[in-house]
Amino acid sequence: MTERSLDDLIDEVVIGLASEEDCARIEKLAERDSEIAARLDRARTRYMALDETADELELPAQMWERVAADIATKQASTEGGNPAEIVELAPAIRNRNRWRIMAIGAMAATIMLAVVLGWTLNSRLEPTVIAVLLDAQGQPVALVEGARNNKTLVTLLEAAQVPDNQVMQVWTKPNSDGPPVSLGLLPSERSGVLEVRGLPSPAADQLYEITFEPDGGSPTNLPTGPILGKGFAKTPVF
Amino acid sequence: MSVTNHAALIKACANGRQSALKELMEAEGGRMLGVARRILRRQDLAEDAVQESFVLLWRRAGQFDAARGSAKGWIYTILRNRCLTMLRNSDREISVDLQEHEVASDDFVLEAAWSRLDAASDLRVCLEQLEPERRAAILSCYVLGYSHGELAGRMKAPLGSVKSWIRRGLKKLRECMG
Repeated sequence: MTERSLDDLIDEVVIGLASEEDCARIEKLAERDSEIAARLDRARTRYMALDETADELELPAQMWERVAADIATKQASTEGGNPAEIVELAPAIRNRNRWRIMAIGAMAATIMLAVVLGWTLNSRLEPTVIAVLLDAQGQPVALVEGARNNKTLVTLLEAAQVPDNQVMQVWTKPNSDGPPVSLGLLPSERSGVLEVRGLPSPAADQLYEITFEPDGGSPTNLPTGPILGKGFAKTPVF
Repeated sequence: MSVTNHAALIKACANGRQSALKELMEAEGGRMLGVARRILRRQDLAEDAVQESFVLLWRRAGQFDAARGSAKGWIYTILRNRCLTMLRNSDREISVDLQEHEVASDDFVLEAAWSRLDAASDLRVCLEQLEPERRAAILSCYVLGYSHGELAGRMKAPLGSVKSWIRRGLKKLRECMG
């Protein structure tokens, strides 16, 4: 590639004419080569005055809540943890497959450990049902064990990123055609035991889910916020 | 008026401080929506693009390196890339055959952008040295997100010659702005 065509390409990336592949190529080059990074930045700076010519429009009232909810659900997945870790992982992307296998192995080990710990440490709970709650990406985020007296042990399998001024609320559907019923809040953002009265004993295939709700719990007494994870109960084989 | 320190706020995002992201949204969100609206034309799509950009900004904050470029440029690059991806994935391919009213509204947006562009800026001074058609073509790429194909459609010219014609314009601008 001649010098001139690289400059052409950089300009085309900046004004939006380059293909996605070319954009990715230039970004990669800039990551490795600070001289190219500087050229890219110079080209961006040249055109940036045009961004200032756009109208300053009013954001919709819920924009922050929408973003905060997205961040909460995306971080609840296993993808990144806190953003600083993304940098640590970047060099390992080439070994992605190895990472995946390790991740799946670690996940399986975590679940095994959680199940074993849950059963040994809380043997007094005597769960009649157990549900593994999965997030939108299908990753396990919590283990729910329900006992006959509707004592429910919730074990989080990773630290959830709860948005400011929100709380995790645990729900179940005692009747698959009926509305979800709150089992309680996890205010400390940690695993906990919840107790409710007046519900039928939990049964296999009963739905459990955790949502993010405003402090104090859902104002409507029905799930309103984004779902951290959900799953159906199974009867454990002792 | 307080001056926003974009780089410090991005760094705070990387450290998990959500209030920093909120501060960035208060400082830049409105302008970002304006930029997105020009490219995507529709308010709902523009709002989605801004929302997704702030989520990306949060997740990629750890990758931002102030030594490698301006913080504001980094933010707007994320936004512009998001908008362009949405645009290219949408059905605006029909714009190769722009309707008359669309041409008129695009011209209006371009006019506004041109008239607001700081008269003292290097970009303005150098764009003024280009022929009006070439200037309008380059502006419609940056401001409206036109692709080579859309330019060729609008100018009723072959794709290849439009590409090299634009490239020559970009080169002149580079030489002018140094």
